[in-house]
Amino acid sequence: MAGNFWQSSHHQQWILDKQDLVRDRQHDLNILTEEEYQKIFNFFASIIQVLGEQLKLRQQVIATATVYFKRFYARNSLKCIDPLLLSPTCVFLASKVEEFGVISNSRLITTCQTVIKNKFSYAYGQQEFPYRTNHILECEFYLLENLDCCLIVYQPYRPLLLFVQDIGPDEQLLTYAWRIVNDSLRTDVSLLFPPYQIAIGAMHIACVMLGKENLKPWLAELNVDMDKIQEIVRSIINLYEMWKSYDEKKEIQGLLGKMPKPKPAPQR
Amino acid sequence: MYEPTLRYEKIDFLGEGQFATVYKAKDVKSDKIVAVKKIKIGSRLEAQDGINRTALREIKLLQELQHINLIGLLDVFGQKSNVSLVFDFMDTDLEIIVKDSNIVLTPANVKAYTIMTLKGLEYLHQNWILHRDLKPNNLLINREGILKIGDFGLAKAFGSPTRINTHQVVTRWYRSPELLFGARQYGTGVDMWAVGCILAELLLRVPFLPGESDLDQLSRIFQVFGTPNEETWPGMKNLTDYVQFKQFPAQQLRHIFSAAADDLLQLLDRLLALYPPARCDCTQALQMPYFSNKPAPTVGAKLPMPTNIFKMESEKPSLKRKLLDNIDGGSLAKRLQF
Repeated sequence: MAGNFWQSSHHQQWILDKQDLVRDRQHDLNILTEEEYQKIFNFFASIIQVLGEQLKLRQQVIATATVYFKRFYARNSLKCIDPLLLSPTCVFLASKVEEFGVISNSRLITTCQTVIKNKFSYAYGQQEFPYRTNHILECEFYLLENLDCCLIVYQPYRPLLLFVQDIGPDEQLLTYAWRIVNDSLRTDVSLLFPPYQIAIGAMHIACVMLGKENLKPWLAELNVDMDKIQEIVRSIINLYEMWKSYDEKKEIQGLLGKMPKPKPAPQR
Repeated sequence: MYEPTLRYEKIDFLGEGQFATVYKAKDVKSDKIVAVKKIKIGSRLEAQDGINRTALREIKLLQELQHINLIGLLDVFGQKSNVSLVFDFMDTDLEIIVKDSNIVLTPANVKAYTIMTLKGLEYLHQNWILHRDLKPNNLLINREGILKIGDFGLAKAFGSPTRINTHQVVTRWYRSPELLFGARQYGTGVDMWAVGCILAELLLRVPFLPGESDLDQLSRIFQVFGTPNEETWPGMKNLTDYVQFKQFPAQQLRHIFSAAADDLLQLLDRLLALYPPARCDCTQALQMPYFSNKPAPTVGAKLPMPTNIFKMESEKPSLKRKLLDNIDGGSLAKRLQF
């Protein structure tokens, strides 16, 4: 739905306050450092991305699934639901909401099994994907409830296209900024800022990377809160800084081991 | 998490369809009367699909929309794997009112219903949503005389020029000629056509174009408005299901709606234009002289209600069957238990 963002549930209920977010995560942050927490989310964002690509979903659907995932844990501890179960559930619900093709549950489970085995064995070793259809269905409902039934998520892609067109069509700028928006899904910005600001933040970074100067005069004409844009830029740059010195393949097993977990180990 | 089943006290069973059961209930928290639509888990195969897609569509859209002339989704809750949607309780609907021979519909009443329908629809269209299943029994009315558009199971975002839509939408009698010709790219015109048919039905007190098949539907349309040609409808012949029809001459609307004033005929003419781009949109319609001319629309509280409304609530649960509608938009016979 391309309705009115300002009256949407996204704007009215799901632009969170940074302090609240930190407070709600306190439980997990007693166990994990902030950086470890971010690394875990980075990992599951990858799982969602790869699952989506394997299922041939559009990036819009993948982004929506990732935002569902983040919204869920903005309110709940990681021990509430195993993120390995919540990730495919988010993909499942998002694909239904965005009305793009039907993923059958059995195909979803098969894809999870293949993806975990072939692409994420560095994290799970020989362990197989432990969940079945009934787990996903139960989890889907829990997810819907925790999202307060707010299912329509606005993404930065559409404003990004509009803005780049407005500056003057620039394929290279669009490609870079688009990828930066994809990366931004691994930070908290989608929980804290409206999508048009994220789009501008991504363009800002892209222009700096490409040594382009034409963003400044364009920005000067916009009535946009530059402090917010700076905050978005900082979050994304921090992510890039973290990636420089981080080897997921080596560290993730340890992090997953440390992660708070649901009490009864799911097994069937 | 509170226990939702305790919050809603079941008062009455309203009806059961293939996809949902509807109860009248009291919201203990607010003392409000509500309608609880409990989505059934279908076959085992369907259950594999998780939360019912039609329900999901209603949830996702209604969560974003607030307008006095749209049904309000008040709450969603689940028990086990059942989803329940809580709606405003509505006493009756336009189909019941049209069919009730004890009710006199004055020109002012007709105007009031039409305005409320167009205002709700205008808001929907402004939010880039097509309803796609407008018909009298989806226009719900409460005892304050407020009309609300209901049943969003078929509603969909529109506007993407490349997106292919299905043409199997809208109950046949209210289906526009482009849909009947199999158009896959259509716009607000499909809803406007339906409003035209509903307005005509308010005047005639019987369905205006009760086609018995899709072809019969087109034939009935052309018998009234004349068979279009490439000049009056450019591109018509390229539509997927286009078939050549016998040449019918157009009739005068004033002969069919002999009691209607000129300003009303003018509105009908614009709502029921065969060539979709010639159809007016809601905003244009609301600005037409009909709505500013006398008589003024009846105020809500003075609109007629079925006299036996209280009795009907307990005896005739079928009046809430629009809450049970499913993807097929009522084209399937509904199983109702009494």
